[in-house]
Amino acid sequence: MTAWTRRRTPLLGAFGMRVLFWLLVELWILNVADLLLTRYSLSLGFATESNGVMDYFFKSGTVQAVAFKLGIVTVGTLLLWRLCRYRTSLIAAALLTAVFAAVVAYQALWVLSF
Amino acid sequence: MPEALTGGGAAPALPVVASPLDSGAGAKPHPSEWRALLVTALILLAGVALGAAGFIVERTMSTWRPEVTRTAIGWRVVQTHRAPLCGMALGGGDLVWGCGPSVVLMDLGSSRLKLLGPGPESRTTWDPAASQRYVVWFEAAATSAGEASAWVYDSSTRRRRQLATVGDVLSLPSASGDRAVWCTTTPGGGPEIVAVDIPTGEQISVATEYGVPVIDGDIVTWPTRAGPTGMPATWALVDLSQGSRWSLVPAATLPNARFLGYDLSGRTLVWGQIDPASGRGRVVAQNVDDGLASIVAEVTDGAALASAPAIDGALVVWAETAATAGGSRVMGRRLGGGPAFLVRDVDGRVLSTAVSGDTVAWLARRGQMTSIETAQVPG
Repeated sequence: MTAWTRRRTPLLGAFGMRVLFWLLVELWILNVADLLLTRYSLSLGFATESNGVMDYFFKSGTVQAVAFKLGIVTVGTLLLWRLCRYRTSLIAAALLTAVFAAVVAYQALWVLSF
Repeated sequence: MPEALTGGGAAPALPVVASPLDSGAGAKPHPSEWRALLVTALILLAGVALGAAGFIVERTMSTWRPEVTRTAIGWRVVQTHRAPLCGMALGGGDLVWGCGPSVVLMDLGSSRLKLLGPGPESRTTWDPAASQRYVVWFEAAATSAGEASAWVYDSSTRRRRQLATVGDVLSLPSASGDRAVWCTTTPGGGPEIVAVDIPTGEQISVATEYGVPVIDGDIVTWPTRAGPTGMPATWALVDLSQGSRWSLVPAATLPNARFLGYDLSGRTLVWGQIDPASGRGRVVAQNVDDGLASIVAEVTDGAALASAPAIDGALVVWAETAATAGGSRVMGRRLGGGPAFLVRDVDGRVLSTAVSGDTVAWLARRGQMTSIETAQVPG
């Protein structure tokens, strides 16, 4: 038996799962905010979508972009919730939420300053 | 025998967690629920702080943002980095200028600044033009690209969009109302003056010749056959609404005068000229229909005409270098009534002037520093 097989991913307790739940709710709401702010910024003609995949969907149409963005993040959050007993999912959710919050805050300030 | 990656044994039972949504109507959330919400709020706040810090750092590091201060009569905009301010224009309630590769707009009501260009795929811009509602400018990947694009910012919708693809940039754009004009190259390589309807993007060929056109209302004009001093032999004029073209010989010209530049408002053309030998300068206004000319200003006695005049309605403005070294003054005069008046004494050399309604702006240089100031002229 090798050392790495003996290690276990630390498991999440009840409190951790509550935190995870609310983080995933926040993540989903931030995703919607990111979508709305990006769409508005693009419509102003000053911003460009730097994510190549999202750029493709925005160029295909708003419905496609909305469906893809909401779909992919919904699948992601459900996957993280499915893995809720692992602490890694909590760390991933926390990082994703923080990054999304940073992106949305930056975009909101940019739109407000414009 | 391969071992299970989970380390073997039965998977631990999931802790029983009541969903925060199924706690029942009217039931108080468990204290741990609040703690969980607090933890997530802290993570959220950390992200927001990171994003806000990035936004502030980006603003602080931007090289196009000038220092803006309110003066007793308007605004003062001073360059804060190495790139000097240039290509200033007034339109409606907005002041626009170039700064290095950037095209910047300032709302004269609030002093709020907007970076209009260049876009992410461009590195080069040319001086912008402004009408009451639109700002028009050129962008290109590089000055030698041979292909630029015209962009427009609509101040009523706050949106920026590409207006047209142009060939070589042979003149700066000029804008008035819903139209813009410029000179570019045709697909065959020859020069062409084109007018563009800004809302639709429809292009009209004004003339298949070289010229630096200026538009106001339906009238487009440009000087033709300029001599070695730059003084035009004639003014070419086109009425876009009637499709007519005629020419006008400049009147009240000084002998061997050097041409400083021109502007058009309604049916009045103004231009500036200076005699380098005597230092005498003259601002002339000429009616584009009958050619009647009047001398708006005669600059003599040690002073010199420093910039081309600008006109909007009946108000003509220009700049003179003062007889004393180092200073300039911005002057104004209303056509059809009253003498010339002082708008402002300027510490430095005035490079250009602009007027829109009763707002006057001037771009000045003092040493290595450039600045733009605005002033309200009594109506």
